Amino acid sequence: MSITQYNGGTILAMAGKNCVVIGSDKRLGVQNLTVSTEFQKIFPVTEKCYIGLPGLASDVQTLSELFRLKVNMYKLREEREIEPLTLANMISSTLYGRRFGPYFCEPIVAGLDKNNKPHIYGMDLIGCLNFPDDFTVAGCAEEALFGMCESLWEPDLEPDDLFETASQALLSAADRNSMVGWGAVIHTITPDRVITRTLKTRMVIYYISYI
Amino acid sequence: MNPVALYNHEPLTSAAKQHQFDPYEMNGGTSLVIKGSDFCVVASDTRQSVGFQINSRYAPKTFKLTDNAVITASGFSADSLALFKKLSQNLEWYKHAHDKVMSTPAIAQMLSNTLYYKRFFPYYSFCLVGGIDEQGRGVAYSYDPMGSYGPEPYKSVGSASTLIQPFLDNQARVGHQNQQIVQQSEISLESAISITKDAFTSASERDIYTGDFLEIFVIKQGGVTVERVDLRKD
Amino acid sequence: MFLTRSEYDRGVNTFSPEGRLFQVEYAIEAIKGIILAVEKRITSPLLVASSIEKIIEIDSHLGCAMSGLTADSRTMIDHARVAAQNHNFTYNEKIKVESVTQAVCDLALRFGESAHGEESIMSRPFGVALLIGGVDEKGPQLFHADPSGTFMQYDAKAIGSGSEGAQTELQEEYHKSLTLVDAETLSLKVLKQVMEEKLNKTNIELASITSEHGFRIYSEDELQAVIDRL
Repeated sequence: MSITQYNGGTILAMAGKNCVVIGSDKRLGVQNLTVSTEFQKIFPVTEKCYIGLPGLASDVQTLSELFRLKVNMYKLREEREIEPLTLANMISSTLYGRRFGPYFCEPIVAGLDKNNKPHIYGMDLIGCLNFPDDFTVAGCAEEALFGMCESLWEPDLEPDDLFETASQALLSAADRNSMVGWGAVIHTITPDRVITRTLKTRMVIYYISYI
Repeated sequence: MNPVALYNHEPLTSAAKQHQFDPYEMNGGTSLVIKGSDFCVVASDTRQSVGFQINSRYAPKTFKLTDNAVITASGFSADSLALFKKLSQNLEWYKHAHDKVMSTPAIAQMLSNTLYYKRFFPYYSFCLVGGIDEQGRGVAYSYDPMGSYGPEPYKSVGSASTLIQPFLDNQARVGHQNQQIVQQSEISLESAISITKDAFTSASERDIYTGDFLEIFVIKQGGVTVERVDLRKD
Repeated sequence: MFLTRSEYDRGVNTFSPEGRLFQVEYAIEAIKGIILAVEKRITSPLLVASSIEKIIEIDSHLGCAMSGLTADSRTMIDHARVAAQNHNFTYNEKIKVESVTQAVCDLALRFGESAHGEESIMSRPFGVALLIGGVDEKGPQLFHADPSGTFMQYDAKAIGSGSEGAQTELQEEYHKSLTLVDAETLSLKVLKQVMEEKLNKTNIELASITSEHGFRIYSEDELQAVIDRL
């Protein structure tokens, strides 16, 4: 098994009409063993920009601290908030700086810029950036999320609809992957506020009518 | 390929390597089945590939077995085709021996036995059987290559199954999971077909092994119909 | 009717076309099921009647009554049981009555020199006739398989030494709307007419095959209840 899948976890981000969502599951595991069900993988960077860090848990935490440091330094030097695209490039170059001994993490950036235009970015573990205008996914349930997002996502969703779409995608993907789940967090980022909601995945016994 | 694999070098030893005969190939492709109360939908794409090479844009992998049953398989197409041929032969023998057409549940059991017979040199086929039973109810079965099988309400196998299966959980399940305000009735034929089309158009966006054409078989009392739909060809 | 010992009765290797013993095996296809009835000839007062088994289960939905060299029937019934189980294993469904009869009849010619591809199992033909009854998707059916390997379907059939009289009686009494209870009574009534000894609960055997309960042999108490209705 790849080291990026050692601790489980998955993240998605979607763009809507003047809004973005970013969501993750809450599980932390050591291969098959679940260690925590309250593990943070999404970190706020500014009031309108979040980063998701799926991958090796130690690198997730190291990077979250490193990016916090770098974002604070940026703010002090530039005397302004960092924009999503700038943040994405900062993360990308940080990762490429470890080209031959990488952090095992494939970050996702989601946020609104100063004009409230939605931005989502994905990248691989050595910082190759992706600029999608619909959605981006990463982590253990990446393929399931691709299948879900590709069929559920549509352009110009309002915040509530975007949240519902992302929730359905994340829950259905998580429910088919044993490395992913134990609840989910979804941040809906709109021009005036960020709504953070937690969801239940398959944590209760469903009354399933099979066959 | 996962970039991480670049760092997992094999040890640079000079030990002699033994090349061994590997008679299997993975030809990609995706198959799907959704059953309803009085119908069953079986579908698959028609692309056949090896690695980055497309062998054929129209190599069907779904076949009608009887007026009540359709089979589909993805995996190694040579094995699948040989398996289908064997099943058809068995169906013919059965017809002569028992003077009736084999029922879909009987086909399901026979397929399991046929696969298990080759437990240690398996047909590399991920099969789905869909149809209607003797009471006219929709039935669907899924298999692993060694013959382990069971009934399913809906199922996807093959290269894009990881993409499609959660989508089916979300859309094809009775009383859709994770959705509270939803009707509890069984899925209609119209929505089963539209879910199938959505699943495959989405899958062909991301899975290079799924594409070209989609063949949708509908099994109802009174026969099997086939519909062909275009998919991405790149 | 063989009222005296016939030329077929001399040795175990000699048999009549329809069986050797002075008994009647008799079966009726009733509306909801099948009734099989046989006479058990108690040749000695010391013989334990219950040790004679002339009606046998092939599968839960199939039964068989026999006449002739009953020892030969073991081979055939074993074969029928294997065929039924094998069918269930392969297709997860119950074998048809006709198919299991065909399977038994396929054995009939497996004697003498072995043919290409088939193993010969017997030095002589079978000396037993069978009545195979059962319930499948076509409803209750009754087949008669004879030693030649031919089989035919009947609504009601009598075989064995008393069969001629019994068959005549059946032709008169049988009708399509017979109930299972009617069939029980009719079978014992006919049996009573052709039996030399007085019919009682120990010298007959009765079985039913229905879709509800499958194959079932009647207990002595149940037999007595039917006898009392006669």
